[in-house]
Amino acid sequence: MLSVKNVIDIDDLSVDDVEIILENADTFNEVLERDLKKVPALRGKTIINMFFENSTRTRISFELAAKRLSADIINFSSSASSLKKGESIIDTIKTIRSMIADLLVIRHSDSGVMSFISRNIDLPVINAGDGKHQHPTQALLDLYTIKKSFGKFKGLSVAIAGDIVNSRVARSNMLLFKKMGMEVTLVSAPMLLPEDLSHYDVSVKGCIDEIIKTVDILYMLRMQFERQERKYYPSVKEYNRFLELDEKRLNMMKKRSLVMHPGPVNRDIEISESVMNLEKSMAEKIKINEQVRNGVAVRMALIYLILTKD
Amino acid sequence: MTELIYNKTNMIPEDNELFIKNARIIDPAQGIDTRDDILIRNGTIRSIGKTDTGGNFPVERDIKESNSADKNVTGNKNTKPLAVLKGKTVIIDADGLIACPSFFDMHVHLREPGNEEEEDIESGINAAAHGGFSSLCCMPNTEPPIDNEYLVKYIINRSKEFDFEVYPVAAMTKKLEGTEMTDFGLLKENGAIALSDDGRCVQEPKLMYEIMKYASYFDIPLILHEEDYSFSKSGLMHEGYFSSKLGLDGISSLSEILMIQRDIEFAKRTKAKVHFTHISAMESVRLIKMAKEDGLPVTCDVTPHHLVFDDSSLEKYDATFKINPPLRSSRDRQALEEGIRNGIIDIIASDHAPHLEAEKNTTVKSAANGVTGLETMFACAFTKLCRDSRLGIDRLINILSVKPRKILGINPPSIKQGEKAEITLFDPESWRIIDDGFFNSKSKNSAFKGQKLYGMVCATVNGKKVRINN
Repeated sequence: MLSVKNVIDIDDLSVDDVEIILENADTFNEVLERDLKKVPALRGKTIINMFFENSTRTRISFELAAKRLSADIINFSSSASSLKKGESIIDTIKTIRSMIADLLVIRHSDSGVMSFISRNIDLPVINAGDGKHQHPTQALLDLYTIKKSFGKFKGLSVAIAGDIVNSRVARSNMLLFKKMGMEVTLVSAPMLLPEDLSHYDVSVKGCIDEIIKTVDILYMLRMQFERQERKYYPSVKEYNRFLELDEKRLNMMKKRSLVMHPGPVNRDIEISESVMNLEKSMAEKIKINEQVRNGVAVRMALIYLILTKD
Repeated sequence: MTELIYNKTNMIPEDNELFIKNARIIDPAQGIDTRDDILIRNGTIRSIGKTDTGGNFPVERDIKESNSADKNVTGNKNTKPLAVLKGKTVIIDADGLIACPSFFDMHVHLREPGNEEEEDIESGINAAAHGGFSSLCCMPNTEPPIDNEYLVKYIINRSKEFDFEVYPVAAMTKKLEGTEMTDFGLLKENGAIALSDDGRCVQEPKLMYEIMKYASYFDIPLILHEEDYSFSKSGLMHEGYFSSKLGLDGISSLSEILMIQRDIEFAKRTKAKVHFTHISAMESVRLIKMAKEDGLPVTCDVTPHHLVFDDSSLEKYDATFKINPPLRSSRDRQALEEGIRNGIIDIIASDHAPHLEAEKNTTVKSAANGVTGLETMFACAFTKLCRDSRLGIDRLINILSVKPRKILGINPPSIKQGEKAEITLFDPESWRIIDDGFFNSKSKNSAFKGQKLYGMVCATVNGKKVRINN
């Protein structure tokens, strides 16, 4: 039984909660390996997938998770820019309140939107990504992927590389990895880091070469040059020099180490084309596809645990 | 005896008198702290001292005694009316109350013209009277902005309808766009008390330098909102521990510091009278201290909310606390409080910024900036500075009543014979938990809702008008 009603912020979860989620993910992972990939666990429950920001992967992952649990899922998409933002949220919530749903899965471009929504509606909420704040289900599926490879967390060293300041994935992952006893190092540049990291208790390095031989997990973030309002990182060439994973660096990694990425990968920016094109047998370190697969099992576990609480 | 319930049209009839019985009078202008009676006729103070009532005014000695029985969860309150009408005299039993010259708020957004659904001149004046003010400055960022003499005159005439002195602050650049100067001379001649682009900040240094030279020429003060947009753009809160944790874009305190530094340099050259409003950062206090030590005519204010709250208030993404300049770190807050204590920060001003419910009850990103403050400013300052940390009440009265007027060259009121009656009465022992019902302002976006504040303002006498707060 989870200690929380909502999954909004990794800080709200206890270590026990995390372990319960991972155990359940194992169970549902087995379901996904069956011929008939469906259980009747949540028949009659209704989930609303509210995506105020574009997303295909996460939305589909939640949709699939809900369907495999036999819950009804309704997709609500609205680009936040098409309406006055404040109005659309509060109005939409009022509408949702009058429908009879059991769970909301929400993605929105404003940090903290879940806190605002959960103050206004008495329904459990799963955060599917809020602005630059958090993306807890991504962190949980990443953790589950790590568990499947290592079977433990304590003492593992993780490096998270790239644009931290704009990344909700980084914020959730730093907190979750630390919570489970892992060592976290950020590999980044001052322009890509938040002003004050004291909440996260992590160390910082400037180049992948400094950690490549020692890390157990190299977690690459998406670097979105095209989304920069102002160029806050000088160039792709500079990025490649300090923060890209290429074949040479991949070959320097420890034997049982992993490369992860929340997707979609910018080829030749954070990960080189040649690494992405490696033959399967040569790329056993790269877990990007497995992360996506595990996403469904972890989200099934979360939905199940929240909807069968009490 | 008739019970008096004064409200919006609370004129005392021509032939009536107002008798404030047994108040503790604190008047920093005269340096007095005494217990006396005040007799007011036709809006003017007729006499101070133990008036011989000839047995005509039996004072209700038991009024205060009923206090203790009435302590409930939302506040303590007298059960008997504060004011009673006896013959042609309104008697206020001020036993236990403090009488002081009424307050002055240098920084108010009255929202008229253009956003009357948030506030207008009448509701703003009501809120001000409720808060113990007899006079205020309104900021020019209305729609359209007060950037011409016609709007200056409009504001002055509208406020005269309510027998309340509103001093308009006019824009220093046309449409507040920060590109072209307004007509400083005409604006001053028509009643603008100061110039400000409040809410905005002139980014171009050369233009700001010209503004200072020209303002100095007309000897008109500038009220400066200091913000370097390159640091504040897209920012939602103070940049630091909490912005990093919450994933909200930060506004570095450098945004304010750099502009204060720039404008102090310009003030040195131009001798312009510069007032830095709503300062928020520790380093700003230090810069202003140094400028004052250099003998520059610079002054500054802090808001009640920057004195009480810090950036941790946004931890639950409550957009009430989205303010520009942002609530900064606890170290900054402490420096501001210390600045008031040691006099580097001259005054407190509310930056009363009324907003509709829908503009504040939303996500931090889409919410409007600002909180209301006229009605809670005194109680907040009294609670925070006098009750919690022992600033003298006389000093607080000086900060709220005398100094803001002096900065703008306005004569401060004084409680003595022959002066216009501008007297605020407050009860240092009464408290209330602030809720929506407390406010006269059209907007309820207060940062103090749910807070227990001491020092409720009981009455404001402003010439022939008396506002009794129930």
